[in-house]
Amino acid sequence: MSSAAKSINRLIVLLALMTTFAPEVALAQGGAVLRDYQTTAFIDSRLAVWVAAQLHLMFAAFVLAVPMFAWFIEYVGWRAQRKDARLAARNDWLAHEMARLLPATYSLTAITGALLGFLLFSAYPKFMNYLTGVFGPTFVIYPLFFLAETLCLYFWYYAWDRMQGDKKWAHLLLGLFLNIFGTIVMFIADAWATFMMTPTGVDEQGALISLYDAVWNPGWMPLNIHRLVANITFGALLCAAYAAYRFLGAETKEQRALYDWMGYTGNMIALFTMLFLPFAGYYFGFELFAFSATYGVTLMGGVLSWLFIIQAIVIAVLFIGAAYYAWLGLLRIPGSEMQRRWLPAFNVVLISGFMVWATPHTMAASIEESTGGFHPILGALGLMAPKMIAVTLILVVLYVSYLLYRRAGRVITVAWGRTGNIVEWSLIGLTAFAIVALGVYGYFAPAQVRITTSIWQIIVLITGIVVTFTLDYLLLRDSRTVAEVQWGSMPRRGQYVLIILAFVIVWLMGLMGYARSGVRLNWHVFGIMEDMSASAGLPSLGEAAIIITSITLIFFTLLAVAFAISTLTESKPPAEAAATAAEAGA
Amino acid sequence: MRALAAWCRRIREIPSPLGAFLVIGGMFALLKLTRPVIPHSVILLYMGFVTVGVLIHITLDDERIRRFNDFFVPQLGEPLARTRLRWGLLAVIPIVAAAWAYDATRPGYAPPVEIFQRHPTVGAEVLDRIEVPVWAADPAKWDDAILSDGKRLYDGNCAVCHGEKLDGQGPAAEGFRYPIRPADFTDAGTIAQLTLPYVYWRLTTGGIQNQFNSAMPRWVASTESSGASSAHMYDLSAEEAWRVIVYLYNATGFEPRTN
Repeated sequence: MSSAAKSINRLIVLLALMTTFAPEVALAQGGAVLRDYQTTAFIDSRLAVWVAAQLHLMFAAFVLAVPMFAWFIEYVGWRAQRKDARLAARNDWLAHEMARLLPATYSLTAITGALLGFLLFSAYPKFMNYLTGVFGPTFVIYPLFFLAETLCLYFWYYAWDRMQGDKKWAHLLLGLFLNIFGTIVMFIADAWATFMMTPTGVDEQGALISLYDAVWNPGWMPLNIHRLVANITFGALLCAAYAAYRFLGAETKEQRALYDWMGYTGNMIALFTMLFLPFAGYYFGFELFAFSATYGVTLMGGVLSWLFIIQAIVIAVLFIGAAYYAWLGLLRIPGSEMQRRWLPAFNVVLISGFMVWATPHTMAASIEESTGGFHPILGALGLMAPKMIAVTLILVVLYVSYLLYRRAGRVITVAWGRTGNIVEWSLIGLTAFAIVALGVYGYFAPAQVRITTSIWQIIVLITGIVVTFTLDYLLLRDSRTVAEVQWGSMPRRGQYVLIILAFVIVWLMGLMGYARSGVRLNWHVFGIMEDMSASAGLPSLGEAAIIITSITLIFFTLLAVAFAISTLTESKPPAEAAATAAEAGA
Repeated sequence: MRALAAWCRRIREIPSPLGAFLVIGGMFALLKLTRPVIPHSVILLYMGFVTVGVLIHITLDDERIRRFNDFFVPQLGEPLARTRLRWGLLAVIPIVAAAWAYDATRPGYAPPVEIFQRHPTVGAEVLDRIEVPVWAADPAKWDDAILSDGKRLYDGNCAVCHGEKLDGQGPAAEGFRYPIRPADFTDAGTIAQLTLPYVYWRLTTGGIQNQFNSAMPRWVASTESSGASSAHMYDLSAEEAWRVIVYLYNATGFEPRTN
């Protein structure tokens, strides 16, 4: 990055910090009478806060997640240095390439955060006065950790080339601190957000009793976990989209090979973390429902229930896209016809599984289409038991796809290979059978038993994966490679899929952000401080969808600018990495 | 076995655009012909997935893409049947588009599609105004007299739809053309998840002539609102409504949620 760009970055961060503190200073001065609500923007205050908050969250998610997996990739490269210098160089290049996206996006995080702070303090002075009153100390600690994160990030990124070799451990330590500080910053902000949903540590009038309880409220840890995992999915898919964009514009075979690998890695990280997201989401939802029945009613039975049908469809698009990209990846490996012949069957399971998964229990139907109660077929498919069978079988198919990818171009050499193969595939078949059997049993069982069988389905799935993967690892340990992965030979349509996936995850994050915030209905702090402003009502689903789409477009426009800034300084791949890539791409 | 192999070979020889058309068209016809009717919104959802699945299948392989595209390129000396098939398939696109446009714009008399909410959202300001009697809030105070009276009221007023076993299988349950059946109180997804004020609100507000799109009558006359009405609105007093609610919880073994 040029020195001018660096100066601009520093200035932006400084301004952002000043703006974050400014409202608190203004409030502390006293004298002026605080009004409950003020109009500060030309648009509705709630809409302005919505847009600013969502944009800030998206950029924050990106800058929190990318250092996590970039650091991990850097660490893997460092560990591999003695055994495989080429692998180490390639990993280091990839980690650096991902980190290259951070300085500009970090500035945008700070700018949108400052904008959000300004809007909140000016449009909702009474509410923010209350929140700063409850969380006073955290509002002091937060900027300190933010500053520490900022310093670590810029040192970590700009000192990358200088801290190679013997100093690499120190660089990794810096990256570790960056991640720790970033996580703490997120946890503090999560405390404010979840206090608004599940307030504890205050009396019925809202007066503070225990700051510890206010921070560690019932929704805090579930949201921390959910955001941590979701952020990684989000950041990985955006990195993959960046790689796809660079792949499409690559001029050399080496570049194409490296960005193909980057896209593959991003998609794999996203796919892996996506497996945990539903459970993290259930945990968060469980805690919300335990706090108040109103949350359960609003989210699953009432005004926001149809939002979850949209969510189911969008998640299906994410999984289908990621699976499609992974299947296309087999084209990189010569002689993978053996593995590719399974893909049509996988496709059928995936599509029919998601059709069941997205079937609504009660449908949007006209009077003419109403059937007098549940539809005999769709009513049955819309229940939890068939959906659990469908979604767990989809996970089995994705896992088997990964196993086939591992095997493409490799020949098993261990003496017990044939027996091992039979045992492994039988166990996978048994896992699928057990999942279906449990689901069918659960379908006819009472609701309490059904919940238990769905937990057992997950346990069976995880056990099946752990056992068969261990077996697969042993089978392929000394395997002979007969065909190398041809990085760079991925079809262009695969790159467009990565870009679509990035758009979908951003839109999904906007949708769920709206659900999380909207579920409070007309409360600033649920049950304690009511939202009495003119715009307290929930928008319709259609209006919300338009706003979420607009936020997504604004986000991508800003992200494109940030990525364009990132590419001003071209980082040349290390010679060894380039040689490896060229060799693979040949 | 040989016949099966020959059959598989014949399927493989079908031009891929025709195969795609048969899968998409066949699925659409199957969904449209299913009885009872599948709502348009669900067919649209399913067809989206099927179309994506077909696209994935065609584009997973470069060779398959080439064969798909080649079908639309006239070849010298190709059979007449192939030419006709090509033009026939190409004609399907504008025909489907025209049918869709016609269907979307033709005047209709049906009321707009409504989204059903299983547990309608109600603000805390409404629920907070509902006072739960002390004896109803505490399961220890549900004595035999209260419960037997609750059962008598339930059997006389509610069981016709909700069933004697409280499972939503009453004799009148099949008679409604609404998107949902009467609630099954034995299911863990109904009263077990709700607070007493919510259940009381639902019982006294009902669903007739309002946005909740259900056949549930309004059982208790409210002094505050005269909006929705039903033939049953004076049938139960507030005290009687609470007895019915208490009976529901006691008979199903669930406890009302307190928060």
